[in-house]
Amino acid sequence: MSYSADVVIIGAGISGCSIAYNLAIKGIRNVIVIDRSYIASGATGRCGAGVRMQWGTKMNCLLAKESIEFYEKANEILEYDRDVTFYQGGYLLLATTEKEISQFKENVKLQNSLGIPSKMVSLKEAKDIVPHLNTDILLGAAFCQKDGFLDPFLTTDAYYKAAKRLGVKFLTYTEVKDIIVNNNKIERVVTDKGDIWTDKVVNAAGGYSKNICDMVGIDIPVYSDRHQILVTEPIEHVQGPMVMSFSMNLYCQQNPKGPFIMGRGDDNEPRDLRITSSWKFLEDMAKTIKNVLPPVANLRVVRQWAGLYNMTPDKQPIYGKVDEVDGLYLAIGYSGHGFMFGPLTGIIIAEMISDAKPTVDVSLLGLNRFKEGNLILEPSVV
Amino acid sequence: MRIENHPILDFGNRKTIRFYFEGKEIEGLEGDTIASALHANGVKVLGESLFKHRPRGFYCAIGNCSSCLMKVNGKSNVKTCVTMLEEGDKVEIQKDKGGLE
Repeated sequence: MSYSADVVIIGAGISGCSIAYNLAIKGIRNVIVIDRSYIASGATGRCGAGVRMQWGTKMNCLLAKESIEFYEKANEILEYDRDVTFYQGGYLLLATTEKEISQFKENVKLQNSLGIPSKMVSLKEAKDIVPHLNTDILLGAAFCQKDGFLDPFLTTDAYYKAAKRLGVKFLTYTEVKDIIVNNNKIERVVTDKGDIWTDKVVNAAGGYSKNICDMVGIDIPVYSDRHQILVTEPIEHVQGPMVMSFSMNLYCQQNPKGPFIMGRGDDNEPRDLRITSSWKFLEDMAKTIKNVLPPVANLRVVRQWAGLYNMTPDKQPIYGKVDEVDGLYLAIGYSGHGFMFGPLTGIIIAEMISDAKPTVDVSLLGLNRFKEGNLILEPSVV
Repeated sequence: MRIENHPILDFGNRKTIRFYFEGKEIEGLEGDTIASALHANGVKVLGESLFKHRPRGFYCAIGNCSSCLMKVNGKSNVKTCVTMLEEGDKVEIQKDKGGLE
């Protein structure tokens, strides 16, 4: 089969589907989204399902805030026939060191200046918010009620269905084998189901973003990091917020339907794109959760899985064009928070492709920042 | 509801264990699981399905299916089919998903 398209998007996760939808509402409808597996099969469907505005850099705060405000109205805007199950139980960020306390204070100041309603809370207030929290090991915490939980599969499905209604084509179980560039311009995308002629390609390949850039000879400073998650048996709803600690490398949230989801990564692992599950994760996580949320440790584990964080040196995404190849757009490197930035990713990339005025200025997040050494490190990533 | 005479197995004389089901005192035998003791007493409904609240009973009997989850001595989600019966156990039907104990 041979196709032609105005834009080819590689990756049908939240970013790819959101970009496709936003292109379609701008009238660019001859769009093909390719995924080597099913919709949301990669990092999106494997993520911890949390969304938060409590970030440590201005760009991340803005991207998250705008995206969460979209998610609040996602069912209506995307005319979804189901429910993306957005639940704003908040995020409780735990501080175990003085350094973290001062970092959180700085973050809260930045967040408040951008209109994000986060605040520092005392240990007593933290205990009121999460009664089974072990506050003996803590010095303080930060909280934002607007943060919360959102179903990644349903949310991506909402974008997918909306884009499809507007004429976007989706080729699932289709693998990109090569991207042919001629005179620094994109000519076509070679897949295992045939070629797609196009002059614009969006790399939204998540954990495999580097593999796609390798096809056009662009070396990007990203790597993919395996993160693992386990889920417990369901119980009645007892924990509102996501409980998160950077120093203890933990996030733990109760899905509104009952099960607890908890996860983390391990810096010492080989960076080889593996997404298998390990015993070590179960053991380590059990010890941590016993320490932080003791009664949760009594719940049975139902299953575990893994996914890839696509990490950049400053833990902020890479958005936009590249100098070397005309027609290539990057929407990659979310460093573990691509799902929560999904709505804005779609808007921004669609605006770049259609040369519209940007909703949020993301010029600081281009690939060139690494060459120029213009990095602002995000301190708040698990 | 018990097999008294078995062609091969000899059950012998087993000690009686008293326990409570929904507040009512009943008896099981030494070596019973909670679910087998309830079954011997004619109790077929051990719980309810989570969403449609249909009756759920003794099913896999090996701790896999979650059909026998009950509240035992205040602790919810106990797999009664693989939990040995003990003297004075307070066993209750659990109508919700249970909590953190």
